[in-house]
Amino acid sequence: MPRIIIANRRGHQVIEWETTDTEEARAQIAIAERILAEARAQGCVVSRKVGGQHVLDDGPFDPQAEEYQIIAPIAGG
Amino acid sequence: MEFFTRLWRWLRGGPAVDPLAGLGVECPWRHRWDHLPKRSAGPDFTPQDYAEARARAREVARATLGEARWAELQRQGYLDVPSRRFPGVTYRLRVGRRIEVRCAPGVRPPWRQPYLCINPTYPLPEEEFFAHLYLYVRDREDLVIRVAAPQPWDQALGRTF
Repeated sequence: MPRIIIANRRGHQVIEWETTDTEEARAQIAIAERILAEARAQGCVVSRKVGGQHVLDDGPFDPQAEEYQIIAPIAGG
Repeated sequence: MEFFTRLWRWLRGGPAVDPLAGLGVECPWRHRWDHLPKRSAGPDFTPQDYAEARARAREVARATLGEARWAELQRQGYLDVPSRRFPGVTYRLRVGRRIEVRCAPGVRPPWRQPYLCINPTYPLPEEEFFAHLYLYVRDREDLVIRVAAPQPWDQALGRTF
């Protein structure tokens, strides 16, 4: 099941979604897409698991992605 | 059904009803953390919360780095990432510490100070942030160069625990 790993002070928490063509799945996908957009708008970056490893990713949300991860913004000092 | 109704309103920019609120997921970019002391997750965190957070962080850091890099980190205590911008320069990453900038013999250091201080903007377990920093250094070196604060010595990061 595709998922987003949200890194936070709890270690991380996970949002998953179905990819079936149902109202519930569409709602889950809408939430996932919104979370990624909101996080990016707040300065986070996103990694996507590709070929077994995570790489930072600027692409549009893909509901078929295996796994995304929201990466904390960084600051010096 | 009410959930979907609320979601639909939220997605259309309707009244401020947030379907994430009921998911029990903390989205740290929605909060301010400046008031927290260094190396703290907040006054509401218990010792058990810290232990659980660190255990979850370890799990996801391992998955993010992949087995080979994770094993290398466990074996030697650091990961080296060669710079793509500065030939002969390597970034040495240690969990919870500043980045050490190492230069091959004869290579002029890009910074006058040998350590780069980079923190997450919200509190994270240090192994989780280590994996993030590894991705930044490997995939977004330009951003690392832009935000890094060069420092003369090594020290624990302030925003991780």
